[in-house]
Amino acid sequence: MSAAPDIDMSPNTDSGRAIVHLDGVTKRFGAVTAVDALDMRIGAGEFITFLGPSGCGKSTTLRMLGGFETPTQGRVVIDGEDVTPLPPNRRDVNMVFQDYALFPHMSVARNIAFGLELKGRTRAEIARQSDDLMDFLQLSALRDRMPDQLSGGQRQRVALARALAPDPKLLLLDEPLGALDAKLRGQVQVELKQIQKRTGKTFFFVTHDQEEALTMSDRIVVMNAGRVEQDGTPEDLYFRPRSRFVAEFIGETNLIEGRVKGAENGSVVIDWNGLDLRGAAPGAVPAAGSPITASLRLESLVCHPAAPAEGDALPGRVVSKLFKGSRTTLDIRVGDHDGAVLRAYMDAGAAERIAEDRVWVTWDISRLAVLQD
Amino acid sequence: MTRHTRILMSVIYWAFIVYLFVPLVLMVMMGFKDSKFIGFPIRGWTLEWYTGIFQDAEILGVFGYSMAIAIASTVLSLSIGTWVACFLGPHKFRGKLIVFALTCLPAVVPGIISAISLRIFARGLEIEPGMLAIILGHTVHNVPFVALVVMARLSTLPPSHIEAARDLGADAIVAFFRVTLPYLVPALVGAGVFCMLLSFDDFVRSFFLGSYEPTLPVLIFAMLRSGMSPEINAISAVVLVLTAILGLWAERSMRRLNKGS
Repeated sequence: MSAAPDIDMSPNTDSGRAIVHLDGVTKRFGAVTAVDALDMRIGAGEFITFLGPSGCGKSTTLRMLGGFETPTQGRVVIDGEDVTPLPPNRRDVNMVFQDYALFPHMSVARNIAFGLELKGRTRAEIARQSDDLMDFLQLSALRDRMPDQLSGGQRQRVALARALAPDPKLLLLDEPLGALDAKLRGQVQVELKQIQKRTGKTFFFVTHDQEEALTMSDRIVVMNAGRVEQDGTPEDLYFRPRSRFVAEFIGETNLIEGRVKGAENGSVVIDWNGLDLRGAAPGAVPAAGSPITASLRLESLVCHPAAPAEGDALPGRVVSKLFKGSRTTLDIRVGDHDGAVLRAYMDAGAAERIAEDRVWVTWDISRLAVLQD
Repeated sequence: MTRHTRILMSVIYWAFIVYLFVPLVLMVMMGFKDSKFIGFPIRGWTLEWYTGIFQDAEILGVFGYSMAIAIASTVLSLSIGTWVACFLGPHKFRGKLIVFALTCLPAVVPGIISAISLRIFARGLEIEPGMLAIILGHTVHNVPFVALVVMARLSTLPPSHIEAARDLGADAIVAFFRVTLPYLVPALVGAGVFCMLLSFDDFVRSFFLGSYEPTLPVLIFAMLRSGMSPEINAISAVVLVLTAILGLWAERSMRRLNKGS
């Protein structure tokens, strides 16, 4: 039950009621453990994202919620009902598939009505509900089209409408943006988040794309090798990663590997290649002299053309400069040691005014995050 | 390819086309000959042979008998073949290859062998020679074709479609009838037409399993024994046209249905 402490950190633990409980859920495929003793509580109305590399267990978790896989051990509880042995058709859970899985022989309207028909709704109810949904998702003009006459973005919306139609307690989304091109993806991310807010549904989103996760989620669960690495808000994960895996998987970061020099009320000083770096350490800090790793985001560093009046500043020189349009990435060697290179972002205009052989680097002390493993 | 080989290739191709079509053209033509004997020279033309077969109650009856057998055996073959395909398709089990080989076997066993063994088997089961025996014989022969075509189509059905149906509240049976079966329609149309043609065309099995009531190929064979006549040409020409129309229609609708998915 190693994941248990993570749950307490979740932002929705106290607000709202839980719609999903995963209780020691384990899934093994032969000798491979895809999901390892997962405990999880998902609040009603949450947009929760399971993020991780392929094979980390995020899709298996999703499929166990949908009823497509049966856990080897543990229980899946949805809205107070133990659904562990129930097949997909007997769960109030619907899914948006990665390839959308629209029925090719049915029009848009018939695809959307499919779930309602099987629920035994009357003809009038089905017509009203699917009309409302098509209105809401701007699909009314496409109602008589067949799936092969739709663009990728339209298909994605139809798949969403079809899954929302039976009014599920939980909506599962299995990398639904993977098939869209980059420009459309950004737009759909915004749309999805708005739809989730307006419907108030619980969205369980699975992706390997950290940007998608950060943009849309109320809460992100990072998974690695069947276990939860970290569970928290996007800001938590980004600025306060718990582990090296999370720090490196989400965004770009400077990994500071040094030794503890000293600690005092909530802050720590790290000896990094002979330099002193001060950072925030809200938890327990290892004894002086023991190895420690910290993460420092590129945008938490600031470069100055002259020595700043106050605060810790490290003098250095620019080793390389990468122009990226709005921003420039700078590699700055601080101190004498070859390994002591920090990467920072700078406004492209400001970067031009920096003398390459003489810069000063400061950082936001609260954002130098000590990693626990 | 050099110019010479290209010319040679097209000559061979056209020679093949001539070899294929001249007998057919001759057959249709002789049906219009105003004489009791087949052969050149043709001194006069008539439609009598063609109009004659549409007025001949015996021929029309035999045609209907053959059609009934073809339709019944096709319906049976489609049902059994689809069932076999769905059973063999997604599941993995021990001996799957053996079951698959056994399924395909009736398609490759020589017609005469299969006809004799079916006759013996039918007698063992006390099935009288006649319509039922022929229908069952044709079904055994046609099931492998249906199973192979349906399996090929089934393998292109993304598993997520079935999962989506289950997800939206369908049990396994409803999912099959509302998602899998519609997806299989192009394959079923193609396999069905093929079964109809195989059954309608079959001589050996119908001959061995039939009673005194002949199917169309058996009737033609019987008529041939009393000598060639333009009437046979007329019957054959009508069958040729009907089967060609059926085949082309199947080809067209399969193409259209395949496009739609």
